[in-house]
Amino acid sequence: MIEFRDVHASYDEDIKVLDGVSFQIPDGEFVAFVGTNGAGKSTTMRLMNGLLKPDAGQVLLDGVPTTELKTSQIARRVGFLFQNPDSQICCSTVREELLFGFKALGEEGPDAEAAVDGVIREFGFDADADPFLLNRGTRQLLALASIVVLAPPVVILDEPTTGLDFRECMKVMGIIRRLNEVGATIVMVCHDMEVVADFARRVIVMSAGAVVDDGPTFDVLRNPHALGRASLIPPQVVDISLALPLMDERLVESPVALANTLDEMQAAVSEEAGR
Amino acid sequence: MNGFLEYVPGDSLLHRLNPMAKIAFAVLFAIACFCTSNLIFLAAMLVLGIALAASCKMMRPALGLMKAVLAFSVILAVLLLLTNPSGDVLVELPWGYVGTGSVLAALTTILRLEAAAIPLFLAFYVTKLTDLSNAAVKVLHVPYKYAFTFASTVHFIPVFMNDMAAIMEAQTARGVEFDQGGIVKKVRLMVPLCVPLLVSSVRKTNSAAIAAEVRGFDLRTRESGYKAYPLTVADVAVLVLAVALLAAAILLQVL
Repeated sequence: MIEFRDVHASYDEDIKVLDGVSFQIPDGEFVAFVGTNGAGKSTTMRLMNGLLKPDAGQVLLDGVPTTELKTSQIARRVGFLFQNPDSQICCSTVREELLFGFKALGEEGPDAEAAVDGVIREFGFDADADPFLLNRGTRQLLALASIVVLAPPVVILDEPTTGLDFRECMKVMGIIRRLNEVGATIVMVCHDMEVVADFARRVIVMSAGAVVDDGPTFDVLRNPHALGRASLIPPQVVDISLALPLMDERLVESPVALANTLDEMQAAVSEEAGR
Repeated sequence: MNGFLEYVPGDSLLHRLNPMAKIAFAVLFAIACFCTSNLIFLAAMLVLGIALAASCKMMRPALGLMKAVLAFSVILAVLLLLTNPSGDVLVELPWGYVGTGSVLAALTTILRLEAAAIPLFLAFYVTKLTDLSNAAVKVLHVPYKYAFTFASTVHFIPVFMNDMAAIMEAQTARGVEFDQGGIVKKVRLMVPLCVPLLVSSVRKTNSAAIAAEVRGFDLRTRESGYKAYPLTVADVAVLVLAVALLAAAILLQVL
């Protein structure tokens, strides 16, 4: 479990980034942090794996404050996918890159080799390819794979779909969903509200270093006040279902006005058409 | 927070000086420090450097720089202490001795490096790189290509430092123990990270070069810049001060 207790954080004495943030993330959750640039999302992620220590308050990993742990010690429990894969990639072949994490943690051996082989097969990589010659999407996949191969209980993703086309985005998010289905806690920063709606089960909205809303995905995405404070707009289906009752009062309690996904919208529209 | 050698906006006298006057002052100031071994003069130069930093509210980077220079100059000072036996004997060594002259030479080295470094670095913190290269082209008639190359080199120092910090952070998050152990261990761990830094550096440099080319880099001449960099009374006064300091340093050494 990850717990923030009234956390204040800053990068410089003068620049406060987080101002009294509190929340809990139980094991196995899939949480998306949303908000404008500068809201404090990435700082929150950096606090979770100890890259940044709080100025005040506590960040607890399974009850242990991160101030008592080194980031390299936290690495075994918390995998972190950075926005820019080029910061993570440092080896000359894909295979070496995937083994790098085991080496850093002192866990080389047959089990590590077997795990790497499995991930190479799952992701469809060429094991001998030079990572720096791969395209942007594949480099992002490799950076993700280098975390997946270590099977950490918690995976933090800082804008994992930035710069990816739709196919690459779905591939990355599909892998992340599978990780969550086998028990990993997923914490993701994402600007794409469609991705958030499709994958996250809980959304935390941040604005100006504070949490302005926190709840099940569609409860939050249907809260125009909270989204407005963070300058966000809901996914298109939610937007339409929120707008329909404003155009026709008869639709206020109809399934169309409560639809959150395309499937729900299609079913609701069919039902309305059938009446 | 500004990075290493990154311009810090301000309206101090140093900010307003002609970029060439600032650089000339800093260079002459540094030469003056190396022209004399007079400890009092060097101490006065150090005080002047600190006063200049304070005048443009740059004490924090100046103190950071002094700390870094101190670490380097102390190593040189220790070498001087051990290898330059002069003056009255203070400590006998198997290969010579540490004398009063050795201590003075060591102190001089520390003071000289500290004093010389401050204005040189300060000049970059109070001057926009574009102004520096444009003034070099306009005032000194340096071909734009070379002025731009110099400015770009300086510009990329903080960029690459930030890149290295991001890479180290990413590797720490993967379990590489940058946050544990001593400097030797950290340096050993940093060596393999030179690869991603080199790759990102080449990519960034290549992108910058292409961006410059497509915007007509080769067409630029001395006449292209509309901003003029005339020398003002303050610039001349600063240059006279620098020459006077240099002359005083030479005189103190000769007399």
